[in-house]
Amino acid sequence: MIVAEKKPFEEIKGMLEGYSNILVLGCGTCVSVCMAGGEKEVELLASQLRLAFAKEEKNAQVDEATILRQCDREYFDEVKDRIDQYDVVISTACGAGVQLASELYETKVVFPALNTTFIGIAQGEGIWDERCQACAQCVLGDTGGICPVTICPKGLLNGPCGGTNDGKCEVDKNKDCAWTLIYRRLEKQGRLENIKKIHDPRNYQVSTTPGRKVHEAYKEE
Amino acid sequence: MRAKKQVNYARKLLEEAGVEPERLRMFNMGASDAILFKKAADEMDKVASELGPNRIGKKEAAN
Repeated sequence: MIVAEKKPFEEIKGMLEGYSNILVLGCGTCVSVCMAGGEKEVELLASQLRLAFAKEEKNAQVDEATILRQCDREYFDEVKDRIDQYDVVISTACGAGVQLASELYETKVVFPALNTTFIGIAQGEGIWDERCQACAQCVLGDTGGICPVTICPKGLLNGPCGGTNDGKCEVDKNKDCAWTLIYRRLEKQGRLENIKKIHDPRNYQVSTTPGRKVHEAYKEE
Repeated sequence: MRAKKQVNYARKLLEEAGVEPERLRMFNMGASDAILFKKAADEMDKVASELGPNRIGKKEAAN
């Protein structure tokens, strides 16, 4: 899932300077799971803003709404009649959600309340680790399900490099060497011959931005 | 200890919004610890008296 974190409160408050009719719009999918922008976080942010504005004796209306997904336009239907009432929307979605909200309501100012950080997995309560860089050339089949592009700080497709030391990385001694992990995983799977497979340099032409993916079944003839 | 972490997080949120974090504090005690409860209540009463009335407007207080 997409992992994000809340921007510093001062930055959020600074963006809202000069606006008095504010909608805090949450997203109920990835950012809800990573406790950054779901319904509960929307309530917390809206309460924080109300407290801060009340203390400054600023007359502002702060309302809340959370839709299931801000990266799918049909989910905006439930708030479409409300959005016009506000001067500004502060979105607690990932960067994709903020952009869709802004695209759907072009005359409305939409600010991001989060910094989108990475695609990752939950490692425990309140802990997430990065696992995928969406490079569009997945090599996980060769590497025992461990991504060298993400886990190796150098993103080496062929490893390990000379900086591996007792299974740790020379870039950060607290981090595991991705290629040592790959070696051990392949060994467990009885597929150690895969470590000798030489991967060609990545083709950056397939990962230029902005990407677009059209499902086979929806391609025009 | 998760509750403690969440209370500490709530203190940070209050501080960011301009409310003294001292107004919120977690105490550990058993359900029958009347003496500890009184001590904690007295401590918080002292803190609230020293800080004075909450300066946040009536509108938020009514929520």
